[in-house]
Amino acid sequence: MLGLMWRGLLVGSLAVAASAAVRADDVVKIGSIYPLTGVAASAGNYAKQAIEIGEDIVNSPHPGLEKLLLGEGKGLPNLKGAKIQVDFADHQGNPSVGQSQTLRLITEDKVVAMLGAYQSSVSFSATAVAERYGIPFLVADSSAPNITGRGFKWTFRPTPIGTDFAKIYSKFLTELKAQGTKVDNVAFVFENTDYGTSVSSVVSDAIKAAGLNVVAMISYSANSTDVSPQVLQLRDKKPDVVIFISYTADAILYMKSMKTLDYKPPIEIADDSGFSDPAFVTSVGNLAQGVVNRSAWSMGPPGSPTAIINELYKAKSGQNLDDTSGRIMQGFFVLADAINRAGSTDPAAIQKALIATDIKPDQLMMGYNGVKFDETGQNILASSYLIQLQGKEYVSVWPAANATAKLVLPYKGWE
Amino acid sequence: MGGRRALPYLAVTAIVLVYPLVFSGAFMGRLGALVLLSAIGASSWNILGGYAGQISVGHAMFYGIGAYVPLMAYKLWELPPVVGMPVAIVFSLVVATLIGFPTFRLVGHYFSMATIAVAELIRIVISNWDFVGGAIGLMGPAVSRTVLDLSFKSSVPYYYLFLAVLAVVLGVTWHLQRSRTGYYLRAIKAGDRAARSLGVPVRRYKLFALLLSAGFTSVAGSLYALMIGFADPDSVFGLLISVEMIIVAALGGAGRLFGPLIGAAILVPLREFSNSLFGGGSSGFTYILFGGIIMLIARFEPGGLMEIGRRAVALFRKPVHAA
Amino acid sequence: MTLTLIQVIVSGLLVGAVYALFSSGLTLIWGMMNVINFGHGDFVMVGMYTAFVVMMWLHGGAGWIGPAAGLLLFALGVAVYYGLIRPVMRGPMLAQILSTFGLALFIRYTAFWIFSANFVTLPEGALGGTINLGGIYLGMPQLIAGIVAIALTIGMYLLLTHTRVGSQLLAVSEDRNAAMLMGIRPDRMQALAWGLASAAAGIAGALMAAIYPISPTIGETLALTAFVVVTFGGFGSVPGALLAGLMIGVVQALSAYWFGPIYRDVAVYAIFVLMLWVRPQGLLGTA
Repeated sequence: MLGLMWRGLLVGSLAVAASAAVRADDVVKIGSIYPLTGVAASAGNYAKQAIEIGEDIVNSPHPGLEKLLLGEGKGLPNLKGAKIQVDFADHQGNPSVGQSQTLRLITEDKVVAMLGAYQSSVSFSATAVAERYGIPFLVADSSAPNITGRGFKWTFRPTPIGTDFAKIYSKFLTELKAQGTKVDNVAFVFENTDYGTSVSSVVSDAIKAAGLNVVAMISYSANSTDVSPQVLQLRDKKPDVVIFISYTADAILYMKSMKTLDYKPPIEIADDSGFSDPAFVTSVGNLAQGVVNRSAWSMGPPGSPTAIINELYKAKSGQNLDDTSGRIMQGFFVLADAINRAGSTDPAAIQKALIATDIKPDQLMMGYNGVKFDETGQNILASSYLIQLQGKEYVSVWPAANATAKLVLPYKGWE
Repeated sequence: MGGRRALPYLAVTAIVLVYPLVFSGAFMGRLGALVLLSAIGASSWNILGGYAGQISVGHAMFYGIGAYVPLMAYKLWELPPVVGMPVAIVFSLVVATLIGFPTFRLVGHYFSMATIAVAELIRIVISNWDFVGGAIGLMGPAVSRTVLDLSFKSSVPYYYLFLAVLAVVLGVTWHLQRSRTGYYLRAIKAGDRAARSLGVPVRRYKLFALLLSAGFTSVAGSLYALMIGFADPDSVFGLLISVEMIIVAALGGAGRLFGPLIGAAILVPLREFSNSLFGGGSSGFTYILFGGIIMLIARFEPGGLMEIGRRAVALFRKPVHAA
Repeated sequence: MTLTLIQVIVSGLLVGAVYALFSSGLTLIWGMMNVINFGHGDFVMVGMYTAFVVMMWLHGGAGWIGPAAGLLLFALGVAVYYGLIRPVMRGPMLAQILSTFGLALFIRYTAFWIFSANFVTLPEGALGGTINLGGIYLGMPQLIAGIVAIALTIGMYLLLTHTRVGSQLLAVSEDRNAAMLMGIRPDRMQALAWGLASAAAGIAGALMAAIYPISPTIGETLALTAFVVVTFGGFGSVPGALLAGLMIGVVQALSAYWFGPIYRDVAVYAIFVLMLWVRPQGLLGTA
């Protein structure tokens, strides 16, 4: 009789497990933490909207996107068409809250993977939680070099980082030099938190290795109220190229100050971030004509998959897709694709799938050379184009193979 | 303490002791640990700000030192961070003395302003000093090497560790408030001149309160570094850290033994749960609420919740004894 | 090189004048009532958004932003005084600090809620372009801000010292009870002070909107700067705030130019701390 009871219990629990498994497969949950309040809330909200568009693209068909990862809009085919669902949480820019929310998403929402987090400090601490719990964490945007490279096995980063930009900038400048443009003296102007400091140091090393001179490394605080002294310092040094590594408010402030003090460098390069923020283009775009920016995002001709994505995003957020939000959306697709290839919601299987990732460029919406993670979790095929602000939009101008417009030099500024 | 009066305290102690066993989920466990951590910081501040009446808005400097020194010990010599904790306390005491001596000549708002300025100065220096990680900050051991690393996956060990530390801080505070030193501090709180006329060596006791407060705050910072495993200038030296300590203590009741704990028990969950309630909503509605609550407390009951509680209890008691 | 140096100093003076403008209100309150307003920076932020709303949503001309911000913030200041400050002033200092801090949070996140986190700016050239005075460039918005700052400071100073209302304000700040005995209504005077101080902050904000990008979180940094200026200049001294603002603007600019931008803030805080220890009453304050 006991035997019967045990058998009944076994069958019963199997049935429950089976039905639970079936129910779980209908929706696959991933967690996402972004700064939805606090100083970076603007970027955080764009990120959220970008991911939501990604969610929509994976779950429902959108004609024209079939070539992209999971672009057919049928959910996750290897998981019986299960839909993917993103649970968002606000980390407020605070590393401790980032950890708490990651913990909550993992242990209570039972997400199978994480996506985040914009600020490097939060990515640092939140990935540690995911590492302890054995949940893959895809860092779609944070740039601090040692986010990957701590020996973590569950952290992956598809986006290009400082070392990638360094290669791009030095290649670009070396090419210009070969064409006869004077680029020997380079000045760096960077905001002094982890973003500005790490990128500027890596890029300046590459520039020096390329045989050019770094004539100034001007670091400043992102919430400065006045940058005239820095602009005047630049004016003194007379560099051929100025490379800005700034957030939005300071980028706007610099453009205005440069106009007031009538200073224009012959070539002005900006490292994404502040200069890519739609608010920048709206407020001071007309003062910064010709600024060269790096972006892995190019809108492409109408009807192309990237243009379609842009339309979807614009309908939701009112803005064109910018590079940072685009990289985040791409990160989402890479993660969803890995879950699909794993064919399972088991985090270990997803981790294996991520390690085995080898995506070709034509399946991507961003201009990477592909997605393939090395043993530290960094994408070794990440790269960017260079774009230039011409009129009200950025157009891609380099490398020649991806250019949709011609590079215009020297820097025009407010003309 | 008389038997009946001790009852609420015993009840609270019991609840606090069994909390992680009742709320065993990872998130709730972490929440409990964070509440205790916040209570430790606020209780440390309370010694100087609540009991001695010297409102420091720069306590983050001690918290930050407490977080950074252990992580530096790990960075430079791969030591378990906890080894750096006593060293951090020493640094904090040194800084406190250097600040304290000149600053205590100032009273009221001047003192508060000075503490803000010094804390900000330290934060800026740390932000730009590559040796201590600059703006990027410091990391602790990514994965626990030995138990000494105190890097646990579960929050329960942290909970009990923090509880033990909080008990020490509150124990010291309790002893202080019943001692002659406590009497002196209350006199100082009422007014420097009045205290001096009573023969209180004002400078000396202010410094004592500052040192005690700074040392404990440093410990709080170290505990933060142990649990979060990461510290950067904004998250441990920032103005918001100092302000949070004050708000937590004041909400519960500054100058009261359990005030900070009560404040922490309300504020920390509010912050963590607002996330889930408003589902990552971008309205920042929590902070509007926060700000409103703080204003109401300041306006109507500066004694904090403990004072409100005391009045409510007194109201209930009256009719019983009225006959 | 010398021309650049002059430019650095001139730019510093212009920035400093703006500091003086939004700090003059704070020193008035502080001197009169011994209250720190942690929300002062957020009042300036409200002024900035007022300018934005007037120009971008209501399509008003640039000439309206100052008066609009001034009036709105005057009303806000008076409301805050009667609603929050008056009851709290008689309480412990902790309550005073908390009350304005809660106010700051409340205002900041309400702005966040209404305007969201995105940076907005006034259209470029809203207040004019740049003047070139013999090689020295002066941004029109900065120049206007500077002139208004000086004018307002002088105006406030004259108000306080040469008018009946002014002497009543000063009487209340010196001895509240004596003033009451003389038939002055201290509450009215203090409310007026709050109104004026907030209006000054609002006008400062409106002018700054033409120079800086606007976002809800800008208040915190501004508040710190205002505290430094006020302490440096001396609590309660409006001329002190002007002098201190100008000096700090120049010190910041020179430190940034000579030593590097980081030293900008370091220099200011260091001088501030030194000042507190050596001469806490500030440059022109009374002990």
